[in-house]
Amino acid sequence: MKTKKNKDYAGVLSSVFAILIGLVVGLVVLILCNPSQALPGFLTILTGALTHGMRGVGQVFYYATPIILTGLSVGFAFKTGVFNIGTPGQFIMGAFGAVYAGIMWEQLGPVHWAAALLVSILMGALWGLVPGILKAYFNVNVVISCIMMNYIGMYLVNWIVRSYKPLFNTLRNESKNVAATAVIPKMGLDKVFPGSSVNGGILIAIAVVLFIYVLLNKTAFGYELKAVGYNGDAGKYAGINEKRNVVAAMMIAGAIAGLAGGLLYLAGTGKHIEIKDVLASEGFTGISVALLGLSHPIGVLFAGLFIAYLTAGGFYLQLFEFSTEIIDIIVAVIIYFSAFALIVKSFLGKIREHKAGGEGGSKA
Amino acid sequence: MNVIYFIFQQTMLFTIPLMIVALGGMFSERSGIVNIALEGIMIMGAFTGILFLNLTGGSMSGQLQLFIAIAIAMVTGTVFSLTHAYAAINMKADQTISGTALNMFAPAFAIFVARVIQGVQQIQFANTFRIESVPVLGRIPFLGPLLFQNTYITTYLGILILILSAVVLYKTRFGLRLRACGEHPHAADAAGINVYRMQYAGVAVSGALAGLGGLVFVVPTSTNFNADVAGYGFLAIAVLIFGQWKPWKIFGASLFFGLMKTIAAAYSGIPFLASLGIPSYLYKMVPYIATMVVLMFTSKNSQAPRASGVPYDKGQR
Amino acid sequence: MDYVIEMLHITKKFPGIIANDDITIQLKKGEIHALLGENGAGKSTLMSVLFGLYQPEEGAIKVKGQEVKIKGPLDANALGIGMVHQHFKLVHNFTVLQNIVLGMETVEKGFLKMDDARKKVMDLSRRYNLFIDPDALISDITVGMQQRVEILKMLYRDNEIMIFDEPTAVLTPQEIDELMQIMRNLTAEGKSILFITHKLNEIKAVADRCSVLRRGKYIGTVEVADTTKDEMSEMMVGRKVKLTVDKTESEPGEVVLEVEGLSVDARQEGHTKKLVSDVSFQVRRGEIVCIAGIDGNGQSELIQAVTGLRPAGSGTVRINGEDVTHRSIRYKNTHGLSHIPEDRHKHGLVLDYNLAYNGVLQQYFEPEFQSHGFLNNDAIYRYADTLISNFDIRSGEGAETITRSMSGGNQQKVIVAREISRKHDLLLAVQPTRGLDVGAIEYIHSQLVKQRDQGSAILLVSLELDEVMNLSDRILVIFEGRIVAELDPGQVTVQELGLYMAGSVGNDK
Repeated sequence: MKTKKNKDYAGVLSSVFAILIGLVVGLVVLILCNPSQALPGFLTILTGALTHGMRGVGQVFYYATPIILTGLSVGFAFKTGVFNIGTPGQFIMGAFGAVYAGIMWEQLGPVHWAAALLVSILMGALWGLVPGILKAYFNVNVVISCIMMNYIGMYLVNWIVRSYKPLFNTLRNESKNVAATAVIPKMGLDKVFPGSSVNGGILIAIAVVLFIYVLLNKTAFGYELKAVGYNGDAGKYAGINEKRNVVAAMMIAGAIAGLAGGLLYLAGTGKHIEIKDVLASEGFTGISVALLGLSHPIGVLFAGLFIAYLTAGGFYLQLFEFSTEIIDIIVAVIIYFSAFALIVKSFLGKIREHKAGGEGGSKA
Repeated sequence: MNVIYFIFQQTMLFTIPLMIVALGGMFSERSGIVNIALEGIMIMGAFTGILFLNLTGGSMSGQLQLFIAIAIAMVTGTVFSLTHAYAAINMKADQTISGTALNMFAPAFAIFVARVIQGVQQIQFANTFRIESVPVLGRIPFLGPLLFQNTYITTYLGILILILSAVVLYKTRFGLRLRACGEHPHAADAAGINVYRMQYAGVAVSGALAGLGGLVFVVPTSTNFNADVAGYGFLAIAVLIFGQWKPWKIFGASLFFGLMKTIAAAYSGIPFLASLGIPSYLYKMVPYIATMVVLMFTSKNSQAPRASGVPYDKGQR
Repeated sequence: MDYVIEMLHITKKFPGIIANDDITIQLKKGEIHALLGENGAGKSTLMSVLFGLYQPEEGAIKVKGQEVKIKGPLDANALGIGMVHQHFKLVHNFTVLQNIVLGMETVEKGFLKMDDARKKVMDLSRRYNLFIDPDALISDITVGMQQRVEILKMLYRDNEIMIFDEPTAVLTPQEIDELMQIMRNLTAEGKSILFITHKLNEIKAVADRCSVLRRGKYIGTVEVADTTKDEMSEMMVGRKVKLTVDKTESEPGEVVLEVEGLSVDARQEGHTKKLVSDVSFQVRRGEIVCIAGIDGNGQSELIQAVTGLRPAGSGTVRINGEDVTHRSIRYKNTHGLSHIPEDRHKHGLVLDYNLAYNGVLQQYFEPEFQSHGFLNNDAIYRYADTLISNFDIRSGEGAETITRSMSGGNQQKVIVAREISRKHDLLLAVQPTRGLDVGAIEYIHSQLVKQRDQGSAILLVSLELDEVMNLSDRILVIFEGRIVAELDPGQVTVQELGLYMAGSVGNDK
């Protein structure tokens, strides 16, 4: 197990390195804008999320819930060799499915919210399925079909919500409230984090993270998915059904992103589908989360919490008359430098090789 | 007849920026670097260009002001794209990751800076650039109203860029070397070509064109800029693939997208389409659905540059 | 002294390995100088030093007596040094002419002016008898013509010193003869040639002198005319090489593989040619049947059609009497087929998986390694340990080693170990020794014979004539996608086999 630990260590270290650079850049930008407020502003980014104690922590979990899952969706797809940039579309389709079921199926009673979440999973899976099938059977570039599906999903949801009376709140140009039975239960978290928006969604998200971790690392199916992701030709040689794999991987990725939409829009925090021609930002944030988390499910969990933590802190920045976009700038810089991971890794590798030089190494 | 003129003029407003950006993407991919950051670069180009228009509004003649804004947008795009080039070429970074980072950075940066400078994130500008009718040419029957009325100088600039792109790619030493780098960088290296330099050039051209495209997209269709180019950078990537990485086919693909966008935006003003009663959302979705359908039939024999997206490493042989 | 190039006491170290250890090579003007050595002997590193891709720790390079510093291919080119690489450096969708002028284009104000270049290329083509079609696309011309393009590239650049890196691997015997003639023409015109190879016949045929490298060390330089092949091979390997494989007469049993009327169509647009055309043969238990042929005559496609990696156009494939033509790869893998693939990096290994996971690439789903969908990692690692000890696989961290970090020979051993250890009736071995050193080659050969003696049916595809002659019990010669002869290795000479492979005999049916 020695190698594996070394490897993970190098990955984590390169992420830490990227985070540090991102924070430094953030600080520099703040100083350039307003030197006198820069330091307190920067401290707010780092600690603002904790301003209100447990309530603040609860908010971090609330913000983290959808982006952990969209991040997991992207990261999972990465592990199987496809770049799922379709999370915005899958997310909004999932949200739509949940909202539809949440408004229309009130008669379900206590299982209403669970049924609505199930619909969100199915809608997301459907939106992931299409690029998967196009890739497997028509060799269509997944990135492109995902981008197309994002826009199709966005317009389709807007169209339906707007034109279907029972869903549409004409006054506010958005979807109506979901039924009370469709709101995800707090699962006791309101006691731990009083006053915050956190709900059972975060527990569901963590459960999905663990499920995907086990799926990828402990099962024969995960073995197949990763084998095809690393080397499709070898997967074919091994008798793995490549096409079925791509379809399944995209479907699962879509389902996860769809669930993210469901969890956010059924959180009971006043989220509605607004009729705007804008792609869901939670989907794109998922890409950052996945990259920062090295596409590893557990890494994604922490990356999602980290970005949510910064975002929560960022809200308080307005006190210092800085706009919250500084958080996006910091995250972008972090992502940019995390792309250098290869260099950091090979640098660490070289150091190790020098140390191991005397043993002759494994390369003969 | 007026309807045809109107549709054509509108189509150009959508087509030209899309084509310019897709051509930019072509130069980058032909050199072997995938540039998924086109969206972010467009935003940066539009941002500095529009900011210039905002700050200098009314102080000089419209067309001169626009030209300076164009230059600023192109320079901004180039500089910004170089960060992608550095990551992709020097650091051998995953080109998707670095591109995604740029896409995230651009809107955040534009909003942040706009707020610092003027308090609000929207940047207003006065559109004084529309040309009612080009002297002499505008009065030619049919062609005059079609091509030389209600137009922008940027439309002709776009056509010029298209022709230049085709010539540069196929008729010059630079184009030959660029294509060699995108197909087989080791062959180019063995022939004494500095692959890294060519790739930098490819990405820089893509940055300049995407920066320009951002400005060209915003100017005719709006009077303020809100750190957004409506996903045109991503659409341009679709157009690039749709257009098989070839200049004239990219033009054709842009035209198709532009037409569909126009119909979606303005179908109620077109008597025939309005009478069909098809909801506007359907027209909005058509370009995307059509792209997927076309890709289904063309993707089996992809013409993508072979080395595109693969970091070039001299050491590997 | 009229040495055109001298590489004196070159030492190049990499972490943990000395790739070149005090190597001296001197190339005379107008000679053909062979550089002989096994894979991994340091030939490539030495050439990379000459082209400035690596800077040596010690030693000096002199060109025409002047000491020079070479910092990159451009410097080398300026000094008149050119190279035909083993894998041609040609852009597939450029024309011949574009490929030749690339990097040295004739231009006017930045615009290409191909007319002057065309004239110069055609003149050179006539002068050196290097026939080409300047306007054909590289992807449309034969490998032999591609090589002529590479030579013209050097001539176009007025290179005086030409390096040929393993130039004959992809050529037919006639093309090899032609190349030898071209090389002689070139030296007659005053060019000097460094000829990298591990084929002794070719050295004997064309080289004047030969320098030998072994494991990064310089062994010596000999006059080819005064040295026998055995002597050179001993210098190369460091001991007497067993040129033959110990094996008994085969005792073929029942038929395991039966191929009937198999065809494979070319998929590219514009080509209607059949890559494999109406091929029929059988392989029985306890025999090694070898498909011999020049690279690119359809043997890869034939094997891929048998395994299912590529769809068969028509015909049937039977294993143990069962028609498996349209069965999945998985089905064949679990019904008697083992396959050592041609390209170990493309098909054979998931390089980012560790040795243990690669060891069960076709078996991870078997009850032995999996239960209720969960992998049984204990069993997988235990199995890997037995493979490692049974096949003497060397790796840094045992079963945990990521295969990417292993040497080529040991990677190949992983594949061989996996395929041989799996339950199988039929073993397809495609170029199983490509790129390996003599020790590994001998080991794999002995394993194949052992498998045969234990009752496997073995179908071997090889491009190496020695391997074909030594290992096989029957030889099927493939030429342009068709089996043109079935030969008995005991009854046929290498020369005759070569004629069949070139299609000059037996191709009239």
